[in-house]
Amino acid sequence: MNVKELIEQNNEKRKDLNEENKKTYTDLMLYIRTKLTLSEKQSEEVLIEMLDHLLDAQEEGKTANQVFGENPQIFADELIEQLPEEEKRDMVKFVGQLAFSLVGWFLVARGIVLLLFSSFVEVSTTVYMIPTLIIFGLLACIVFLGVKVIFGLIHHSLFKEKSNDKMNMVKAGLFGGGSFAVILAANYYIRGFGPTFEFPWTASIGAGTVFLLISWLMKFKTKI
Amino acid sequence: MSLRSQLLKGILDGCVLAVISKAPVYGYELSKKLQDLGLGDVSEGTIYPVLLRLQKHALIVGEMKPSESGPNRKYYSLTQEGFVALDRISSEWQQLSVPINALLMKGENLHER
Repeated sequence: MNVKELIEQNNEKRKDLNEENKKTYTDLMLYIRTKLTLSEKQSEEVLIEMLDHLLDAQEEGKTANQVFGENPQIFADELIEQLPEEEKRDMVKFVGQLAFSLVGWFLVARGIVLLLFSSFVEVSTTVYMIPTLIIFGLLACIVFLGVKVIFGLIHHSLFKEKSNDKMNMVKAGLFGGGSFAVILAANYYIRGFGPTFEFPWTASIGAGTVFLLISWLMKFKTKI
Repeated sequence: MSLRSQLLKGILDGCVLAVISKAPVYGYELSKKLQDLGLGDVSEGTIYPVLLRLQKHALIVGEMKPSESGPNRKYYSLTQEGFVALDRISSEWQQLSVPINALLMKGENLHER
């Protein structure tokens, strides 16, 4: 069974848990899933195994705390310690596929916007290579940091009696607003120098489609 | 944590290997068997980090199979290395348990006098 099927099965089976057990199990599940360095396949396998176990125990009137101990966080940390890390190769593949897909969609969207606007107003299709590369690099850093920050916030908010969701929302909001400001400022200040080339809407859509195709092929290959 | 559960935690790998060596089991069955043996001092979930560790060291392997009650479960069985490890743990336990029994079983010593 692949990861996607395991997750779907998990979503279905989780519905059979009672409220209390579902809360504890979901916390445990998110705690492990937000630890991004772990092997996804192995994590999902042990998660569904423990879900089956909990469902059997629930039938006998046991609670999640009886199964996973009074302190499920300590238990979860023990699991994380034993779970193997995701292989570097798979991680590179995943990030690569995501990058191709993002750049692909960006180029296609840019092509469409240029096409639509060019019939009303005069638009420049000139691309400044160095500023564009800098801004893309910046975007990549922000996305990478953002994933780490958001997952970290979730990871540390679990297993708490009363979670301070509001505080976390403020933190996530600040991060979002901050990075938006950085991109805007970079766009404003870093522009108009270095070598340029013409990049009309046709080429933009064409290149975007190629990127999306590569991303799709990578996804297809990892499924096998 | 009570002394009993601390001691059990140290030797749980061996106990899990021993149970699996008798017949392939899945997680829930394994915890049931440990409890029936009187080893219910640690929470049931504790077996999962142990199972992960034993798999990582290739002492056991898991295989999805339909269970008696119907749905697919992951059944664990010992590998060649698993049996070797079980033998080693058993003999080490022997070496430990004999002197410790002699030392701590005061009741029996009194009988001998």
